[in-house]
Amino acid sequence: MSTASVRIEGLTKVFYDDSRGEVRAVDDVHLECASGEILGLLGANGAGKTTTLRMLSTVLTPTGGRAWIMGHELREEPQDVRLSIGFYSSSTALYPKITPRETLRFFARVNRYPAERVEERVELLIDRFGLAEYADSRVEKLSSGMKQKVSIARTLAHDPPVLIFDEPTVALDVLNALELRKIIAQLRDDGKAVIFSTHVMSEAEQLCDRIAIIHNGRILACDTLDGLRGLTGKHYLEEIFVHYARDSQA
Amino acid sequence: MLASGVRAIYGLEIRSLLRDHRTVFISIVLPVVLMPLLLLVSARVEQGRQQRETTRHYKYAVVGSDSLFMLELLRDSVRQDESDPADSAAPTFETVATTDALHDLEVRAIEFFVEGLGPEEWRAFLAEDTARADELEEFHDTPVARVNFRSNRRSSSVGARQLRTRLVEIRRVRRDSVLVQAGFPIHPDDFATLDVVNVASEVEVAGARLGRMLTLFVVLLMMAGGGVLATDTLAGEKERGTLVTLLTTGATRAEIILAKLLAVTSVALVIVLIQIVNLWIYLGLGLIDVSSGFSASVPPATALVLFVLYVPVAALASGVLLVTSAYAKTYKEAQLLFMPAMLGLLLPTLAPFLPEISLSSAIVLVPLANIAIAARDILVGQANWLMVGIAWLVTAAAAAYAGWFAARALEDENLIAGADSDRAEFLGGPALFRKRVLQWFVVFWAVKILLEMNIGFEDIRWTVVFHVGVVFLAAPLLMVWHFKLNVREALALRAPKPGVWLGVVLGAPAALIVVTGFFQLVNLVLPVPREVLESFGQAIMPEEIPVWQIVILLSVIPGIVEELTFRGALLHGLRRRFSPVVLCLVVGGIFGFFHFQIFRIPSTALLGVILSAVTVLTGSIFPAILWHTINNALALYLGSEGVELAGGSWMTYTGAAVALGLALWIIWLNRSLYPDLKGEPPSRRAPGGSNPRSSPP
Repeated sequence: MSTASVRIEGLTKVFYDDSRGEVRAVDDVHLECASGEILGLLGANGAGKTTTLRMLSTVLTPTGGRAWIMGHELREEPQDVRLSIGFYSSSTALYPKITPRETLRFFARVNRYPAERVEERVELLIDRFGLAEYADSRVEKLSSGMKQKVSIARTLAHDPPVLIFDEPTVALDVLNALELRKIIAQLRDDGKAVIFSTHVMSEAEQLCDRIAIIHNGRILACDTLDGLRGLTGKHYLEEIFVHYARDSQA
Repeated sequence: MLASGVRAIYGLEIRSLLRDHRTVFISIVLPVVLMPLLLLVSARVEQGRQQRETTRHYKYAVVGSDSLFMLELLRDSVRQDESDPADSAAPTFETVATTDALHDLEVRAIEFFVEGLGPEEWRAFLAEDTARADELEEFHDTPVARVNFRSNRRSSSVGARQLRTRLVEIRRVRRDSVLVQAGFPIHPDDFATLDVVNVASEVEVAGARLGRMLTLFVVLLMMAGGGVLATDTLAGEKERGTLVTLLTTGATRAEIILAKLLAVTSVALVIVLIQIVNLWIYLGLGLIDVSSGFSASVPPATALVLFVLYVPVAALASGVLLVTSAYAKTYKEAQLLFMPAMLGLLLPTLAPFLPEISLSSAIVLVPLANIAIAARDILVGQANWLMVGIAWLVTAAAAAYAGWFAARALEDENLIAGADSDRAEFLGGPALFRKRVLQWFVVFWAVKILLEMNIGFEDIRWTVVFHVGVVFLAAPLLMVWHFKLNVREALALRAPKPGVWLGVVLGAPAALIVVTGFFQLVNLVLPVPREVLESFGQAIMPEEIPVWQIVILLSVIPGIVEELTFRGALLHGLRRRFSPVVLCLVVGGIFGFFHFQIFRIPSTALLGVILSAVTVLTGSIFPAILWHTINNALALYLGSEGVELAGGSWMTYTGAAVALGLALWIIWLNRSLYPDLKGEPPSRRAPGGSNPRSSPP
């Protein structure tokens, strides 16, 4: 039995679309991610990254295969899975009428963080992410950079062991994206298992311990950057990606 | 654990609501001021109307061949008013000359005009109008006064009515005078004294008027106030992206919906509370001087009862709003869906306006309509508390169903992610039929009740053919066609084993007695007046119709078409959703609810359960058809012979139960189970969803 925080075996998702018929958005995916590791899911738009991560966060139900997060199987113990993860994506948002402090309090409580330690946790996150100055202003009044910090802080509100980031930098400017990558690296150093999807090669190169290349719903390769270089004989990640993508279509 | 998630989300919803000025205004401020405002306006309008009606000065003209007689008659009637100084507030009438009365009426120079017509003229007029032939026969060659007015003008209608009242009075005085002069032995007024007394108290009259409108008004405000929050809470969250955030937290779908339902219900309840307090303050304490027709008595106890009565209404309105919001992919789509949802909820609240509608009828099973009538009955002070309780439970159950339905929307990936379709939706056909069959029957039930209320033929036979034959046959055929079902499979058109027929012939009469015994038991809890049963019997068996026709209409046709509908299409659609026992209970229960007289529901449901069991055991519709036909024919025959099964002893019922058990045992021995039932091992299922016939061991 693997001790990985996240274990995925044959995960599959089939959609039915009026125009395209049966679409295998995710096809027999096998992956693992350990604590203190960042696993990058690298793929073009429509490759199946978001669908995979949404299945892991229980928003979507897999058509086939199984996956465990901290030992909890997705379909058998969905609530335990959700309590073990923090999910962040460019499409997730915050409640506009409440303050950052109330936001952190809400997500800690709704994720069953021990009631007596909620305030302590909220103060810790406010301090860590530098939110003190505007902790009691309504979210709707904050700038997008501030909102992004609050969003990441709320992902960590219940101190989950697994973090899922679905293209988190897609809507951010260069500086905010840089800051976010620093935070994600820190989270890995804190011992979290991080799954991080992106279509930006440089991001994957800089941040990920291992990179899984996903194309048309299938994992084509999964290894460290050096391992992928060795397997393909290519140096740059972009070349490696193109190599695998072309191979799969050949 | 459940409570903490619900509490957290509920707290978030309420906090967000209170910080949104627009929602606070619509949900709280508007309901606070709207009712007193409406009451004040209606009081002013009513006072103004009464004043206008009593003090107005009316100009009118007199025309026609016998206008001199009319003028003389009218002078008498008007003079009466002028000679009564005590009645200075009474309307006055002024005769004006005219050359074109119709034109003057058009241009408002006069309010109405009176035509004085001679007898011959009137005869000629009536002769031209075939619809008034009866009047011609009864006409006694008297002068005729015809009042012409315009009903689209209030002053014209009221003035004409006032004058007509005076003409009738003058006619009576003159007739009495003629009778006395002709030697009538006593004065006509002494012949008999007529006194009419309205025994309803002013509170009851006011309660009836107010009660008719109260639920409509309350639901309208609930929808307006709750709608803003409900639309924002799911559709708005989808659009903002906060719903996905929430769905990835430790809160379960049920917790999320429950918390949101509680939040919207809280708003709706605040609105109810505001209205009930408004009623108590403004009407109960008489702070606003409304017309006597609305000055209902609303003591604190009645106000409290009304509040409790409206709790499930608030939950149901909230549930429907949440369903609307959950099934909309965007905020805008939710706003579009809001109007039909509101109309759908307001329509049943108009039930108290139906003439002679009583809570002791099938209406008690219609959510909202039942509460609207219960509210009226409570305000009138004539509530049947058992029926009020049933109404409350029915509406509460509907609210729970709406909540469950909304929770299902959060499981629907298509609504959350907007990226894919459900497999059944994609494949369509039989797979989709299994998913949709209950929705179809809910719609069918509503359509059936509407048709029964509105369509009837002069010949009762055609009415029966239409409602029992055509409508019930159309439903399964429509489903077969729409979902492209295999007719033989969907309607279970398979031959049973021969031994089954013995069980059917023995079981049908036994079941009739058992069902009658069950009816007697239910009657102890929900007593049905004997007159109701007798009038029902007379209605379905008119004496002028030959017995053989009644047998065909009420035994053979229902035996075939109702079985095709319920044990055919419905059972087929639900076979994979419920275990066989629950399947029989559900199909039987739904069959019962299609018998709209409330006293028939439990007993017909029991018959439906037995017929479902027979179909499940035999895998065929035909035994149930014969059973149903025998059941109805026997009941009609015994009814026509005056044999009362209801008067049977416990020995009779016990014996019948044993015979029924024996019949079902015979069927069990000859069983060939319905294919593709839930819980059946996959190996016994044939490709395509059905399986080869199973045989007894």
